Amino acid sequence: MLWRYIAKRLLIGVVQLFGLIIAVFFLIRLLPADPVSRLVGMNASEEAYAQAAAQLGLDQPVMTQLAQYLGLQPSVQPGLLQGSLGISWVTNEPVLSEIGAYLPVTIELITLAFIVALLVAVPVGMLGALNPGGRTDKGVFLYSLFAGSQPEFWWGLLFVYVFYYQLGVAPPPLGRLSPMTNPPDFVTGFMLIDTLIAGSLPKFLEALHHLMLPVLTLAFILSGPIIKMVRQNMLRALQSDFVLYANCIGLPKKRVARYALRAAMAPSMTLIGILYGFMLSGAVLVESVFSLGGIGQYSIRSVLAFDYPAIQGVVLIITAISLLVYLLLDLVHAAIDPRIAH
Amino acid sequence: MTLLTVRNLQVTYRSETAVSRPVDGASFTINPREVVGLVGDAGAGKSTAALALLGLARAPGAITGGEVIFEGRDLLKLPEDDMRAIRGRDIGIIVQNPRAALNPLLRVGTQIGNAYKAHNQSTEAEARKQAVDMLRMVGINDPDRRVEAFAHELSGGMAQRALIAMALSSRPKLLIADEPTSGLDVTIQAQFLDEMWQTVQATGSAILLVTQELGVIANYCDRVLVLHDGRIVEDAPVRQFFESPRHPYSQDVLRLFRERGGEYPAQITGDRNFLKTDALTKHFPLRNSKKVVQAVDKVSLSIGRAEAVGLVGESGSGKTTVGRCLLRLVDATSGQITFDGTDITALLPADMRKIRSRMQIVFQDPYDSLNPRWTIEDLLAEPLRVHGTPDRATVRAKATAALKLVDLDPALLDRKPRGLGASTLQRVNIARALILDPEFVVLDEPTSVLAPRARNGLIALLAKLQKDLGISFLFISHDLTTVRYLCQRVAVMYLGQIVEEGTVEQVFSTPRHPYSAALLSAHLFPDPINRRVDHPVPAALQGEIPSPIDVPKGCYLASRCPHALEACRATAQTLTQLPDGRQVRCMRVVNGDI
Repeated sequence: MLWRYIAKRLLIGVVQLFGLIIAVFFLIRLLPADPVSRLVGMNASEEAYAQAAAQLGLDQPVMTQLAQYLGLQPSVQPGLLQGSLGISWVTNEPVLSEIGAYLPVTIELITLAFIVALLVAVPVGMLGALNPGGRTDKGVFLYSLFAGSQPEFWWGLLFVYVFYYQLGVAPPPLGRLSPMTNPPDFVTGFMLIDTLIAGSLPKFLEALHHLMLPVLTLAFILSGPIIKMVRQNMLRALQSDFVLYANCIGLPKKRVARYALRAAMAPSMTLIGILYGFMLSGAVLVESVFSLGGIGQYSIRSVLAFDYPAIQGVVLIITAISLLVYLLLDLVHAAIDPRIAH
Repeated sequence: MTLLTVRNLQVTYRSETAVSRPVDGASFTINPREVVGLVGDAGAGKSTAALALLGLARAPGAITGGEVIFEGRDLLKLPEDDMRAIRGRDIGIIVQNPRAALNPLLRVGTQIGNAYKAHNQSTEAEARKQAVDMLRMVGINDPDRRVEAFAHELSGGMAQRALIAMALSSRPKLLIADEPTSGLDVTIQAQFLDEMWQTVQATGSAILLVTQELGVIANYCDRVLVLHDGRIVEDAPVRQFFESPRHPYSQDVLRLFRERGGEYPAQITGDRNFLKTDALTKHFPLRNSKKVVQAVDKVSLSIGRAEAVGLVGESGSGKTTVGRCLLRLVDATSGQITFDGTDITALLPADMRKIRSRMQIVFQDPYDSLNPRWTIEDLLAEPLRVHGTPDRATVRAKATAALKLVDLDPALLDRKPRGLGASTLQRVNIARALILDPEFVVLDEPTSVLAPRARNGLIALLAKLQKDLGISFLFISHDLTTVRYLCQRVAVMYLGQIVEEGTVEQVFSTPRHPYSAALLSAHLFPDPINRRVDHPVPAALQGEIPSPIDVPKGCYLASRCPHALEACRATAQTLTQLPDGRQVRCMRVVNGDI
């Protein structure tokens, strides 16, 4: 039953992705942009222009381009069906391997940030709901007044100023490892994992140290909505009939609180999933401040250069990950709440 | 020695703008093993008082005064932990809307086990065994499987039983039952209350039974407390309460019962076939299937001029669909409807519209059927505008007259539905139905959301309208007491068919069809002399109502009927007239076997 549900969701996901590929493919080509002249320059001769266009395949009819992209003509060039996202027009590297290098940076960053944010925000939101108007609540109000109203890159800069420049507890914001350190061999792209695979504990700790400030910045921003949501859901759960009834039959206070928390977490899953999907490309400002070459920066570079294969590849991969995250959280939600039927 | 003494209990709700005290100085006592009824209007503070006995109040309310003395200790002065120990162990409670009171995320057995473990030293396995035993005790079949169920998998009756299993798991000395049967079907209501009564007799608990239903009070309680404006205004043994209520509120509630006594409404004379259906049938197609839901099955019904005909039956029996077919709000699949000599089954929309001004409908939920953004005048004027566009002055005059007709103050015309009570809004609905001077009105459970006092008022109003204006009513209801006071004739429906039809007196005093008999025996009439708990009750029908998708070949009731023979299962039953004029769909009754 469960496996059938997962299979069905994955199948639907593939259909969604296919629709998205087609849409993005045509929408990009509708833009009033000329990627060829962006590559060869405004003053290039007509021959050079034509040669570049032919090289990019842009002289072909649109439908032929689409067929090639999808991999329906593997004799000409490999496409999606062959597991290729195409070749970047800017770097001449395969898009897939580029994304493979950039994406883990972002995933590592936001996953850690989410874990930290949840560890802080859930208890804080709970306390706020258990004692509305109390000290926790007032603190949260002050925090949301500041955190919510200022952009994250500003907080990043501020944290760099305080923790690196003033206190000196954080490393400079210059990437994932110190510039003097030799990075470990590329295996997964996740620095924390690759350093461990390389068997170097000092490098692992250094990577963790470098992640400290960016994770802190993101977690600081993410905690706002999560606290608010947990508090809201918790308040609703505490006012529900079944919590009142749990009190009526004299269950211990702790058990009543557990009843309420579980009921509050179930609906929170959805928002966490949406936030995660959003952060995949939304973490770009923090990545820039800390010189982390993440997927957000890769997207911006591709868009500015009209690098069609790269743009298509990024959209495809980010959507696929979002869909997987949604599926995962739906499964967690269903495990918490038996009313969600597959 | 009293079990519980309440003195000057006060609960206060404080908002930024107002302070209200739903319970304000209530005092009463409960003796061991006594069944005490607590009655009062909706909003009289009954549920608030019941919760306050446990030292609880819904936010933002708080208990602001009084004493609740239970076995010599004032519960309101106890420390939190001692109070928690008493809740559930010495005082159990069951509440209305049981499904919401169960934790939706945990299995029922786990919840009962948790309640048991909170008050008894026990292992996980013992708690689970206790859960199974309790579920069996409250009459749940297959308790070993049911402990694994979640709240949403239980029916309302089942959930209420699970709640009572939890409440009684530690054998409390007092059980508070707060409207335990609201939302249950009539047939299950009596069965549940019987079971609760028997269970409590077995555990030796006293009951405080909070209810609005006089039938429940009369059949189960030893003593009645009347809560009005936050105080107990009457405290009397149940028979004395019904014979000579002292407080004006009690007198009001019991007015119909006292005035009408055993009388039935007088039969009408004249045109008996003002509205007539012939083999009216309605099927709803099922999606992705060739099968259909057979909602109404060959219903032939006639309603005379100025006659009120009751249509009764369990939920899902097709009552509402019949009402909607009559006005062609849904079109019948087959059959014929004749209104005042005209066949309206296939009238064109323009002609139907003309007829429609002569037939109206009032729906069950008064809140849902009135647009909250319109004023009462707009609401009343809408039918007038639809059927011709009279000038403003005429609309105003007619709207005023319509409000007066239903005993409402014309000052309401400029108000919006918000803030008006259910009974006022239901009167507005009736006024809106009456504003076109209809000759026939379908009333679809118009009293089911009303408190008893408002219900009495509405019944009196409908009877007056029927007499003064000569309107015919189809009164759809599961409340047999109301039907008994209002209708001349009654038709009993089961699974889309009429199984018995006759005068109210015939059907109510000597029901012949086994289903009518079961329905009437399950109904709690407000009669404290002939109490259910004092004599053996005829067994309720076994099993569940069959699915209207795959209806049985023979008699629809055969699977549940104690009199069923092989022949009943094989042959379809026909509605046959008996010598006394009533019609019954049962071959054994017609043959004189039962």
